[in-house]
Amino acid sequence: MNSVAVVMRKAPYGSVYTAEGYRTIVGVAVFELDISVLFIDDGVYALARGQDPSKLDMKPLGDGFPALAEFGVTKFFVHDESLAERGLTAKDLVMDVEIVDSARIAQILEAAGKVLPF
Amino acid sequence: MKMGILVLEGPYQHQAADSAYHFAVAAKARGHQIVGIFLYTDAVNNANRFIDPPGERNIAKRFDDLAAQGIPVVACTACAKFRGMRPDLKTEHVRLSGLGSLAQYLRDADRFVTFGD
Repeated sequence: MNSVAVVMRKAPYGSVYTAEGYRTIVGVAVFELDISVLFIDDGVYALARGQDPSKLDMKPLGDGFPALAEFGVTKFFVHDESLAERGLTAKDLVMDVEIVDSARIAQILEAAGKVLPF
Repeated sequence: MKMGILVLEGPYQHQAADSAYHFAVAAKARGHQIVGIFLYTDAVNNANRFIDPPGERNIAKRFDDLAAQGIPVVACTACAKFRGMRPDLKTEHVRLSGLGSLAQYLRDADRFVTFGD
């Protein structure tokens, strides 16, 4: 099976990239692709608990990621330094993920046949 | 080698669309096959046939030329709806389709390259 790493790099609101990264996962996951999702830099905020973008007339993005399991997407990796730099820990996230260091991120990207950076 | 391309930015604001075009042309010149170019999010605006930049490169025409040469160039249907990019505004050879096309290019390509911000 083709493996694809989807990389969330940006904050969940303020630009469309994380939301579109999410939509891309939903859209392509049904086509027999083995998907890993990586959260680095401000992308880690996408998984933060308690998101309420209602004043932006937007829907919270974080709640969507746990639901991706329904599409067979279960591999979620969060960059440890990106979390720490923002004062976050695993307890602040909406779901259980694998917290990984930079070297492991590099391994995952190298192992994935294709990388989609958002 | 089979190459797939994803474009995430519209025309002129960022270099992404230009770079994607030049990459496709260069890859083709070296004998590689482009399995598809997927125009996602604002990149659907690269398929607007009314783009008419006085004295400058026409990015919409460039992507249409690639499509006319037989390279599948697909603009995301949903993104087009979000941006009012009606089918009758579209350049002749670019098609509208869904993320299934992106999935197909991901599967068919040996290498996949994203051009974004």
